Amino acid sequence: MDMSMNPRVLDGTDHTVSMKTHCDNQKECMKMIEAILDGEATEAQKDHFKQNMDRCMPCIKTYHLEKCIKDALQLKVPKKICPNDLLAQIKNLVNH
Amino acid sequence: MLDETATMTEEIFTPTQGYNEEDKHAVFNREFMPHINSMYNFAFRLTMDEDDANDLVQDTYLKAFRFINSFERGTNAKAWLFRILKNSFINDYRKRSKEPSKIDYQEVEATYNSEESAEVEHTSDLRVESVQDMIGDEVANALNSLPVDFRTVIVLCDIEGFTYEEMAKILDIPIGTVRSRLHRARNLLKDKLRDYAATMGYNTQI
Repeated sequence: MDMSMNPRVLDGTDHTVSMKTHCDNQKECMKMIEAILDGEATEAQKDHFKQNMDRCMPCIKTYHLEKCIKDALQLKVPKKICPNDLLAQIKNLVNH
Repeated sequence: MLDETATMTEEIFTPTQGYNEEDKHAVFNREFMPHINSMYNFAFRLTMDEDDANDLVQDTYLKAFRFINSFERGTNAKAWLFRILKNSFINDYRKRSKEPSKIDYQEVEATYNSEESAEVEHTSDLRVESVQDMIGDEVANALNSLPVDFRTVIVLCDIEGFTYEEMAKILDIPIGTVRSRLHRARNLLKDKLRDYAATMGYNTQI
């Protein structure tokens, strides 16, 4: 995830690189993770993410936390339903 | 601010179509009414009050019908309706709301701007497991405690699934501002969730 990552890692040829425990580009990585989860990432961001997502522990944790919060907002937060009397009132006002 | 809002309102309500009565009702029923639950949920998240949400949704739908000639059939009805609702909220409800004023909001945003350069590292002390353990009302309480402008971008993006471009149109702000406001809103939400997790005794340590 780190933008300054070793080129050997970026081209996917180095399989001996150990997991990074510190991210030097948190701000940029955070922006990319948000864009990925929001479906707004550029092709370059998607490629970078695919190639590096499993090599930086802070970014992996951030990705899972952001995804978990987004899922909780989408799936857990109760959605208010329009009351039937308001629905009827609107239809009545528009039709008369 | 008022002149700016008036200009936005004129832009939304510029008539471009010439529907007959039958067409008007067809567009209203087929393209506007399917979004009423999302509209009501958005109104409630803005006002935090069911009566105000009722009034806001009713006003928005009546405005949408009155100015239906400004809406082109088959275009993005949901975003058009959300934009009207948001403007009605600013013009008619926010003024008498108990929510923090625009000035307060700007102070909050300024604080986050000033702290951005020294932004703390990934929120490592909020655990995925803690969030997964929370029930919906607990997450909703954290969301509801955010200033309305931050709450709004999270609702539009994470709950309603609007794109950044759609949000920019609904909120009348540039896409870059959508992105940065969303980022700050999420940081604020994580702070609230972390505080909540700590209060409830969830494990917040790594």
